Amino acid sequence: MKHCIVLLTTLLLLQLRTIAQDIYSCKNTTLSFFSATPMEDIDAVTNKAVSAINGKTGAVYFKVAINTFKFKKSLMEEHFNENYLESDKYPTAEFKGKILEVPDLHKDGTYPVTVEGTMNMHGVDKVYREKGTITVKDGKPTLDAKFNVKLVDHKIKVPTLVVKNIAEVIEVTVKGAYLPAS
Amino acid sequence: MKQIYLLLLACCCSLSSFAQDELANMFQDSTKQHEPVIATFKSTRIIQGNSIETLKKHELDFRVDHRFGDIGGEFGGGKTAFGLDNSSDIRIAFEYGITDRLMAGISRSKGSGGLTQLYEGLAKYQLITQTTDDHIPVTVTLFGNAVASGATSSTVKSDAAYFDKFSDRVSYTGQVIIGRKFNRSLSLALLPTLVHRNRVTYMDENDIFALGGGGRLKFSNRMALLVEYFYPFRSQESKDYFKSKGRELYNPLSVGLEIETGGHVFHINFTNSTAILENQFIPETTTSWLQGQFRWGFNISRRFSL
Repeated sequence: MKHCIVLLTTLLLLQLRTIAQDIYSCKNTTLSFFSATPMEDIDAVTNKAVSAINGKTGAVYFKVAINTFKFKKSLMEEHFNENYLESDKYPTAEFKGKILEVPDLHKDGTYPVTVEGTMNMHGVDKVYREKGTITVKDGKPTLDAKFNVKLVDHKIKVPTLVVKNIAEVIEVTVKGAYLPAS
Repeated sequence: MKQIYLLLLACCCSLSSFAQDELANMFQDSTKQHEPVIATFKSTRIIQGNSIETLKKHELDFRVDHRFGDIGGEFGGGKTAFGLDNSSDIRIAFEYGITDRLMAGISRSKGSGGLTQLYEGLAKYQLITQTTDDHIPVTVTLFGNAVASGATSSTVKSDAAYFDKFSDRVSYTGQVIIGRKFNRSLSLALLPTLVHRNRVTYMDENDIFALGGGGRLKFSNRMALLVEYFYPFRSQESKDYFKSKGRELYNPLSVGLEIETGGHVFHINFTNSTAILENQFIPETTTSWLQGQFRWGFNISRRFSL
């Protein structure tokens, strides 16, 4: 019996270790978006998003607090939070997905990847399948991906008055430089 | 013993199923606290009194406020198109955000009351900001202005507009604005205010303390109802004296509709006070809702990011 416990504990610790080695996280992931119309270009950026990748299973995760996005015009920032994304009701946006062809994250190189998963934004889930790139340098992976977010898919309403100022599809760029999670 | 065995076995098993949400669980504690509350009011003014809001850094607010003549009563009615033919006060202001908490501005208004042709310098500072987790339950903002009249002195010595020296032209307002956003649609504010006028007429008071209250009820993404009331604490003798002279004083009460259209905030309001500046509408309102002496007014605020 005693041996059994020792064996299981060792197994457990080993498993934890291997998991820890395969997981990479990034606490200052950059998320930016861009809306281009003939009337007005709107862009905002945050580097306070969090993200993690599991190098073994290919699982990938992003989370961002909506109110961390910074705009050039503070009034836009207020409208973005108050009227469009309603960050008091839906404080975060989240992506849970998978990298379909997981490269060896221990090997330096540039790998084109496909990311598939569910994004929850403005309280609405939508499945995305987008192209991205993983670059590994000195054993540290970087992930770049672009999501084309259609506002209506997430029930984000744009009043008719400003419909010409805000693009229907917003290009959201994700960029994270990962470190092995400790 | 068996239980420990089972527990460890369960741990090992759970680890494999852990994979799906493990990444999300890593950031469970990353939700932030003490976030400042935004958009308690949409403009730096509730109607004519101040809201807790200040301009953000490098923002310029160009404001035009207008009050028409009495809708009813002796000077209203059809002959003046319900007051539209007359303007009781007009204010044009440029206000600027120096930091995210400190703003300053200058304005010119026609003035309605003892003094006219008014130049104003103002400053406003947001001291503390309400947080979403109620760590700080209210926002507190300080406001102060100095107003000078540019009018030619009256020749009648008993007039408020008789200026012996420059300081006779000047008045000040000091105000603390305590506001709270209760939920997505309701925000309320309390405004203890002190108005000091250097020169006043006989039986009037240089210092008048007033307590104001205001609120905003948002009923759609773009529109809100506004209400604002000031109660000036003036001595009974002074009130009685002005009443006996046929210039009874009333407390200013305003109601308004706010429409927000991106960079503009537009207010349509009704108020019994004829003046726009605190220095006048708090101590010198002699027009009454009940006698039809209330008026249309509008405020336009256009914010530019410089």
